[in-house]
Amino acid sequence: MHVTKEFKKKTFLKQFLLGLHVSNSISNPISIEQRKNSIKLSADLAMAFARGRTHWTHALITKLGQKEENKSTLKGILGRRYQILMARYSCPLLYQKVQRRKKGVRSYRFSYNAQKRRSALKGSCVRVSPSVVARNLENRRSKVLKRLVPGGELLKGSSLLSEVLDYVISLKAQVDMMKSLWRATQVSSSSNVELIPKCSIAKEGSFLHYSK
Amino acid sequence: MSSWRSRSRQSNSSRISEEQINDLVSKLQMILPETRIRNNDRVSSARVLQETCNYIKSLHREVDDLSERLAELLETTDMTSSQAAIIRSLLM
Repeated sequence: MHVTKEFKKKTFLKQFLLGLHVSNSISNPISIEQRKNSIKLSADLAMAFARGRTHWTHALITKLGQKEENKSTLKGILGRRYQILMARYSCPLLYQKVQRRKKGVRSYRFSYNAQKRRSALKGSCVRVSPSVVARNLENRRSKVLKRLVPGGELLKGSSLLSEVLDYVISLKAQVDMMKSLWRATQVSSSSNVELIPKCSIAKEGSFLHYSK
Repeated sequence: MSSWRSRSRQSNSSRISEEQINDLVSKLQMILPETRIRNNDRVSSARVLQETCNYIKSLHREVDDLSERLAELLETTDMTSSQAAIIRSLLM
């Protein structure tokens, strides 16, 4: 499967600028904190739209849409599409599944610790083979990864890894785009517009390609 | 990689998924910036996962930081026509 990200540049910028414009006009943001949050919202939404439909974009949009403070901004950005998208992306079942799974993990961990305590009381040390240690380390790391990647709790194995890969690439692209936008805005607000060489700006927007 | 292996069914398909996983881990290693892992060395998959976690966290922080800087910048200046011209040049 060959995945290119060239389209992402235009889509991201278009969506991001739209988001900025909307959040400016909707409410005169009182504090920098509010403005920052709306910028972050626009950036995440733009990243999700630019990437297309994957598991993590689905989860990200769901998460963003569920927060009360985001709803008005989202409505402004998406317009008529808001109702359709929210219907598509609101999956209360998704979160119920995660909650149930979390309870299961807790009870398992409790019984495992109880077992260890019992064997420790017996006087024998818990002999842990290196493969188990390695497995525990990896489980812990993949647990952290699952929390970091939106929608990661429901994946495992190779699908989790491919989602992580995709997410990291998109994040890096988002950061690069925001950086170049910031630099462009900063320069234009302080000095002459013509002095900016086009090639340097174009270089900022290059993305990684990866193919499966 | 034993944990990934035990999750998939123990059959011929497990060998294929193990290869897939190794392939994905090596791709992750390539994605990570040079300063975190020297890409020509063979590092353990656990190390790659650890560095990926750290990298994702640092990217989140960067987005946060950039949002704050953009917020400060946009507070003082408004989008003027010159800025729109620059952004159009970014799109080209």
